[in-house]
Amino acid sequence: MILDTDFADEMKQYSGDTALECFNCGTCAALCPLFHDNFPRRMIRYVQVGAKERILENANELWRCLHCGLCTHTCPREADPGEIILGLKQMVVETRRRS
Amino acid sequence: MTNPNDKENKDDTHNGKVGVYICHCGGNISDHVDVDKVRDAAEDLSCVKVARTNMFMCSDPGQNMIIEDLENGEVDRVVVASCAPSLHETTFRSAVERAGANPFVYEHANIREQVSWVHHGDPATDKASTLVAAAAAKAENLEPLHPVRVDAFRHATVIGAGIAGMKTAVDIARQGIDVALVEKTTQPGGRLNTLHTLAPDGEKAGDVVDAFYEEIQNSERITVYPNTQVNDVKGYVGNFTLTLATDGENGRADTTVDTGAIVMATGSQSYTPFNGEYAYGEHPQVITLPELIQTLAENSGDENTLTVNGKKIRNMVMIHCVGSRRIPGIHETKEDANLNEYCSRTCCSAVLHAGNFIRETFPGTSIFDMYRDIRTYGRGQEELYNRAAENRVVFMRFEADAPPRVESSDTGNFPLSVTVSDGLTFNEEMTVPADLVVLATGVEPTDISGIAGMLKLPRGNDGFLNEVHPKLRPVELPVTGVFLAGTCQAPMDSSEACNTAGAAAAKVSALLGKGYIELDPFVAHVDEEKCTGTGACVDACLVDDALELVETEVAGQTVKKARVTAALCQGCGACVAVCPENAIEVNGWTLKQYEAMVDAIAAA
Repeated sequence: MILDTDFADEMKQYSGDTALECFNCGTCAALCPLFHDNFPRRMIRYVQVGAKERILENANELWRCLHCGLCTHTCPREADPGEIILGLKQMVVETRRRS
Repeated sequence: MTNPNDKENKDDTHNGKVGVYICHCGGNISDHVDVDKVRDAAEDLSCVKVARTNMFMCSDPGQNMIIEDLENGEVDRVVVASCAPSLHETTFRSAVERAGANPFVYEHANIREQVSWVHHGDPATDKASTLVAAAAAKAENLEPLHPVRVDAFRHATVIGAGIAGMKTAVDIARQGIDVALVEKTTQPGGRLNTLHTLAPDGEKAGDVVDAFYEEIQNSERITVYPNTQVNDVKGYVGNFTLTLATDGENGRADTTVDTGAIVMATGSQSYTPFNGEYAYGEHPQVITLPELIQTLAENSGDENTLTVNGKKIRNMVMIHCVGSRRIPGIHETKEDANLNEYCSRTCCSAVLHAGNFIRETFPGTSIFDMYRDIRTYGRGQEELYNRAAENRVVFMRFEADAPPRVESSDTGNFPLSVTVSDGLTFNEEMTVPADLVVLATGVEPTDISGIAGMLKLPRGNDGFLNEVHPKLRPVELPVTGVFLAGTCQAPMDSSEACNTAGAAAAKVSALLGKGYIELDPFVAHVDEEKCTGTGACVDACLVDDALELVETEVAGQTVKKARVTAALCQGCGACVAVCPENAIEVNGWTLKQYEAMVDAIAAA
């Protein structure tokens, strides 16, 4: 999969580019009540590196999120994972509408 | 401190005056060796006058026991049974000297490394007693010796004028000793000349070079020899003669320099990737970190985006551990090249320092950093890592056996693509499009086979020079009077290179300060009465010029006798073994002393 180096910029219109603050500690995934396949850590990492393709492939996962806010509350880098998940939902909807 | 259990009144079968002092080493020895039993056994030896124990013989009370007994005339030979002689032999010799005795009437028995650390129970105690008996028997036969004194030139030669060489030269000159600073290139500065700013503080490398060079130019004591190599070395500590070959406009000119000490500051070079390693040499946009640093100095910084080779760099990939930390069986290298299994230590900080500079100066250039491990050791260097994260450098981690693949590409008009199985994204394979790939190449020692061969300096498999001991003698080489400074020893950054340079300069200054040098007296000694001039010893001698046959007059006749140059003799004893007349001995290790030791061991 080829990364999209402009993806972080693209995300600015939905949720800011705070994913670039992430240092991959995994606190968000450890606390997330979904306890599902490194959610939301994996999604945040996809945004950080520009793996837009992977996000679109696994978009269903985004709708599992309860938006409880635990991840955003505890993120040591203030990367705001909850907000990013919300922004990703908007991005996915927007992308599908356009195609 | 006297132990009330010590028995000092010996019966008349005891005629020797050896004092034996046995150390507990705070339990290190006494937990496994019954030291009281060892003392009792020592007391029974006819050569031993007193035998005492102490918790720590190296402590002041411990040493004072020896001094008191010597001053009272109680003993005239000393044995301490304790740790390895490399740790405390000199400590106890100097205690003996402080008591007014000759420091060489001392013998050391190692009952820690050779006994308590490797044996337990009765066998440990028995072996300790045997070693003490042997040492006491030898001590009884020791004769006072005097250090070999040689005159020394108050002049040192530093080979290599990089930052380590410059710092060494400046520090030695400040002590009032003349210095020849030999540099094979046209100008001093070494690898700092190729650097932009220094991690972690961002100081300009050129400013540091200038500061040292200004002092060198203003110093009357330092003579710089640019475009010069060492062609020949003769002599020994305090009295080396170097032949320097200088390339000038009128060809090569030789200069002879008399010098007392030599400091190897021959430095290192950056590893050059082989053709095709990460596409290096196959694609112009794959460059090494030193090449990137050169272009940083050339970029004005007015632009939003970094330009390299005339191309705007929108996205770049930096790859760590190129030519470092290679694993046999996994990594390959050029023919005849060393595998470089070591960590080059400086590249992680250098990558992040350059990355921070780029992200802070050219925000339009984004960076992917692909690493095996990040090792930003040292003060102020972990901060470089944190700052890189704040600067939104994206890190990706690869395994040693799955390095990133760099390939030409036409994706999204990026000329290169780098594919990696990224440990931080759960080992998913990802392809990063890039305008530039930077290889963080490691550190390799400069090729010094010529001078290392001339001086017989030991090098490791990695090509770096080996010091005598990394902690006890970290800047000394086994050839007396030859020292090392900087990255000829190991990969290190400029601060660490300066630390070793300061240490080497201090060692040289202490060595040459008095104008003469005292060497251990454990050298070969010829009994001229017995010597018949067979020359067997000269043939057996391993050191050039240490032994020779000279003609002398005896009873009106000219005869040949062996003569030792004490400053060159290593005290190996090869001559002793071959002499048919037993006319040559090594001081402090005579055959008589050996025989006494063997008898004591056999009797134990």
